[in-house]
Amino acid sequence: MRFSDTMLGTVLLLLGAAIAIYARTLPAVPGQQYGAAAFPTLIGQAMVGCALILFIKGWQAGSVPMIARTEWTRQPGALVAVAVTILCIVAYIFLARPIGFVPISVAILIVLFRVLSVSWPKTVFFAVVATLVTDYVFRSLLLVPLPFGIMPRLPW
Amino acid sequence: MDPIIQAFELVFTWQVLTTITAAALFGLLVGAVPGLTATMATALLVPLTFFMDPISAVGAMVTCAAMAIFAGDIPGALLRMPGTPASAAYTNEAYAMTRKGEAETALGACVLFSAIGGLFGTAVLIFAAPALAEFALNFSSQEYFWMAMLGLTCAAFIGAASPVKGMVSLLIGLLVATVGLKNASGVPRFTFGSTDLMAGIDFIPAMIGLFAVSEVMRTVAAGAPSWDNVQVRIGNIFRDWGGMVVRYWRQQVRGNVIGTAIGILPGAGADVAAYVSYAISRRLSKTPEKYGTGHVEGVIEATSSNNAALSSAWVPALVFGIPGDTITAIVIGVLYVKGLNPGPTLFLFNPQTIYAVFLIFILANLMMVPLGWVVIKLARGLLRTPRAILMPIILVFCIVGAFASNNATYGIIVMLAFGILGFFMEENDIPIAPCILGIVIGPILEHNFITTMIKSDGSLLTFVERPIAAVLAVGLALIWASVLYSSFRNRAAASA
Repeated sequence: MRFSDTMLGTVLLLLGAAIAIYARTLPAVPGQQYGAAAFPTLIGQAMVGCALILFIKGWQAGSVPMIARTEWTRQPGALVAVAVTILCIVAYIFLARPIGFVPISVAILIVLFRVLSVSWPKTVFFAVVATLVTDYVFRSLLLVPLPFGIMPRLPW
Repeated sequence: MDPIIQAFELVFTWQVLTTITAAALFGLLVGAVPGLTATMATALLVPLTFFMDPISAVGAMVTCAAMAIFAGDIPGALLRMPGTPASAAYTNEAYAMTRKGEAETALGACVLFSAIGGLFGTAVLIFAAPALAEFALNFSSQEYFWMAMLGLTCAAFIGAASPVKGMVSLLIGLLVATVGLKNASGVPRFTFGSTDLMAGIDFIPAMIGLFAVSEVMRTVAAGAPSWDNVQVRIGNIFRDWGGMVVRYWRQQVRGNVIGTAIGILPGAGADVAAYVSYAISRRLSKTPEKYGTGHVEGVIEATSSNNAALSSAWVPALVFGIPGDTITAIVIGVLYVKGLNPGPTLFLFNPQTIYAVFLIFILANLMMVPLGWVVIKLARGLLRTPRAILMPIILVFCIVGAFASNNATYGIIVMLAFGILGFFMEENDIPIAPCILGIVIGPILEHNFITTMIKSDGSLLTFVERPIAAVLAVGLALIWASVLYSSFRNRAAASA
């Protein structure tokens, strides 16, 4: 997904204005000219400035579609693959605690390997091995409290 | 003498040596895989450094980054795909050499001159940093403000294809840095009632998202095609080393000096150094017509330059706490976690740590030759590892790494958000590096600005009243003027 200069400018203009307006709600430090609001205001204003430059560039470039599809999105399955990757991370965020690291990691790896058309035997082998190695390294060597969920503690 | 002996004792323990050897191999592997950058290698290493003692942690990052920058040359020469952006400047040249059947000369030159360049940058670091630190003890908030401004300026404009887009990226970074309670007046900003956001946006998950997750998404979108098989046989890479050193000593020295100078500038790093050096080499060469046809001269100058820049980027990072490039931006975060707050006082109170870091730099660059040889020998097999298997595993690493930074799911959410942001930015040709530097430099800039304003009762003139501050301000004004001038000249040239 590629935004034209005008579209990018519009997004920046709205964002910059929102930031600058939000910054006005920040309390001032009594007796000081510059407080918490100074920097956000400046960032907001600079964004509006960049937006204006982008508008000029967009105007010079003539008519281009506001949002263009980049080359890769035309390949079959490309958008699905990106969506699946994002969903896998979302699934981890919600399911890791109830289910546990090992099952969810194996599941994510199986899904992604299959999306990338890795053969089934390799998929299962690498999903299980990579998960167990990660579990060993992070839980046992580095003492990261990866969630157990429904899984019993592995023998390491 | 005492701190130097202590430094040797700190470094030559089996624990530190094993850690840096492992980090070296990790850096070589990540650097050699196209698409996985040296910055990404460093970012992926961060969650592991939480569990190391300070010297191992810093040593691991130094070694990993140095190896990754060199290893980026390998797929560049063999497949015409730069392993890291710092190799992109001379990828075509090195690949042309491979096609002429000179792969071993190209790779040999890359190993040798990377190591020499790294050692040169280290020498400058060793001699310049303590002297600068002594000087920096005179710095007050005004000078730090200007240093931070200089860093931001270099980050946005040097090496950016479009200054506006560099600026947009920088502003995104600065905006991210304002989130949370950590500002001079302690007011919660952009927290929207979330307790997680009160602490600010955690830098490490953001980094992993911007560099690693976005790359995973890009590769997955392309269906993770495997690389073309490497057909070349790589002979003896040590052939003709003596000849090259004698014949091209000028190029090597020039590359080292320019690389070091660019590295010391806050905000500009190894990739910029390689581009500049390659261009200079071509302009000053006696045989510029040979460039692009597989001529080792430009490769030598640029590869000397990028490794020199990598070492010297540590000068502003250690002395002022202002990152020289994206890698040192990550390192600064780790230094704070490890209680080694960067700044001139680090040289006063912890000289043995600084010397230990210098020692590790020397070791890393010496290790580059034997380990580099091994990886070049393994390169054919390594480049046969299918990306379809690599990328999902990297994603799991990212998730676990982002979680480990605070042992909280919040880290994974931040990582995902920044992964999508990075993906979108890359789609729109908005560079990522300025954003990272904005996140790191933003708080330094704001803190020093507000402190100065409190000291001076709101008078902006105070920023140019102190002599060093005034000199920095003039220097900055000159850089801005030259950027404006060159963009106008380009526009005039384009319309003419």
